[in-house]
Amino acid sequence: MIKFNNVSKVYDSNGVHALDNVSLNIEKGEFVFIVGSSGAGKSTFLKLIMREEMPSSGSIVINDMHLEKLPRRKVPYLRRTMGIVFQDFRLISKMTVYENVAFAMRCVGKRNDSIKKRVPYILELVGLADKANDHPSELSGGEQQRVSLARALVNNPALIIADEPTGNIDPEMSYEIIELLSEINKRGTTVLVVTHEHELVKSFGKRVITIDDGRVVSDTDDDRFVAI
Amino acid sequence: MSSFGYLIKEGFKNLVHNRLMTLASIGVLISCLVLTGSAVMLTVNVSNIVDSVGDTNVTKVFLDDSYTKLEAVYKGKELSQVANVSQVEFIDKDEAIQAYRDQLGDEVFANMSGDDNPLPYAYSVKMDDLSKYDDTVARIKEVDGVASVSSHREVAEKLTNLSSFITTMSLWIILALAIISLFIISNTIRMTMFSHRFEISIMKSVGATNAFVRVPFIIEGVVIGLISAIIAIILLFVLSDAVINSVQKILDFKYTRFTEVMWPIIGSFVAAGVLVGSLGSMVSIRRFLTHEGNEILGW
Repeated sequence: MIKFNNVSKVYDSNGVHALDNVSLNIEKGEFVFIVGSSGAGKSTFLKLIMREEMPSSGSIVINDMHLEKLPRRKVPYLRRTMGIVFQDFRLISKMTVYENVAFAMRCVGKRNDSIKKRVPYILELVGLADKANDHPSELSGGEQQRVSLARALVNNPALIIADEPTGNIDPEMSYEIIELLSEINKRGTTVLVVTHEHELVKSFGKRVITIDDGRVVSDTDDDRFVAI
Repeated sequence: MSSFGYLIKEGFKNLVHNRLMTLASIGVLISCLVLTGSAVMLTVNVSNIVDSVGDTNVTKVFLDDSYTKLEAVYKGKELSQVANVSQVEFIDKDEAIQAYRDQLGDEVFANMSGDDNPLPYAYSVKMDDLSKYDDTVARIKEVDGVASVSSHREVAEKLTNLSSFITTMSLWIILALAIISLFIISNTIRMTMFSHRFEISIMKSVGATNAFVRVPFIIEGVVIGLISAIIAIILLFVLSDAVINSVQKILDFKYTRFTEVMWPIIGSFVAAGVLVGSLGSMVSIRRFLTHEGNEILGW
């Protein structure tokens, strides 16, 4: 699903070594936390997966696509295989909950009739069926994040990437969001959660990859952090 | 594309959302098109005037006012003997005034018949060799009783010069305006894109193709072009009619109405409008499409 092979990333503009010789492998159907303090290289890691950035060296394979060989015009099709949940939700404020989710389907050219069927189903799944006609500003942080999650899910991606999904919401809501992601994972979707909240991570007992200073410093299958 | 209807709707929404800049773009594009159309109409009609002013090989020789018809007719022989003159034709002043009356109405010429006719008897003269034109005119003027010689050739030459001057001038003005309208349209669309940068970043993150992101903005450009073309055509229709009618009052000529040359003009206007509109939007879209994620948002 996600394969990093000796990947390094140096930004041309300021010479910062964001990632240093990272190799890791995430299989289909896994639930993985990526933890690390800010500036550790987490966002570079995500940008590389989404191909917003190219690695300086090494190779990346996402959903059987070799990113260093992927032509620019194919990038949208890579992104259709993944759903992204942002820390700041990134909802369009003038659109309703329903429209925000439908927007993601429109963007990939889905027909109106399939939008009409799929969006209510996904909103039901994240528990927002009764808020379909509300605007994002009328919702709590946790609810907004669930809309963002619904949008990420609506195109049925093989991989969900959540970038600090709990960064802007209450602790009890945070737990709910991770539960929801875990539920989605059980249905077969690979889930990648990037966070700096160690406490939250511990309580779920999933695989945890810790990044520090651009390197993978630990990769464990439970809540014990083992240095490698 | 299944979502084409949606994209078209988005394009129109952008137009309304950005109405001030939309109006500015349409305004500039209209002036550009109307100017182009006017230049075409002017060129066509000036050459019409040149044609109807007559055979450029005809020179009118007016005789002294005091000549009677008999004396005037008698002068014909003398004129035809001037070197290089190939043909002379007598113009009766009664017939001439009648021709004016027929063309321009009775009222003006009501009191100008018979002895009150202000026109002199005249001859129209043709020449063998036009390169000796000035020389021949000088010799005709030496003939006793010739009051004046008027040549349509000079008028025709002046008109032709004027029309080519106008054509050159308008070409430059049109070029300048085309560049300005391209610039304004691309700026209008750049503003729309800037105000939609958040949506664009989401579109790209969920896997919209560049073509998909582009369509509403190209539609915006094309619609600006189309609206401008339509308004310009209407303006040109009204304007050229008014101008032709008022010129008709001063100078009678076989004119070409806008409706006669309308189709090629409409065709090229619509094409130009669409071309400038879509080109303008292409220019402004590139920057957004080569950027990724937060770069689009400027974060």
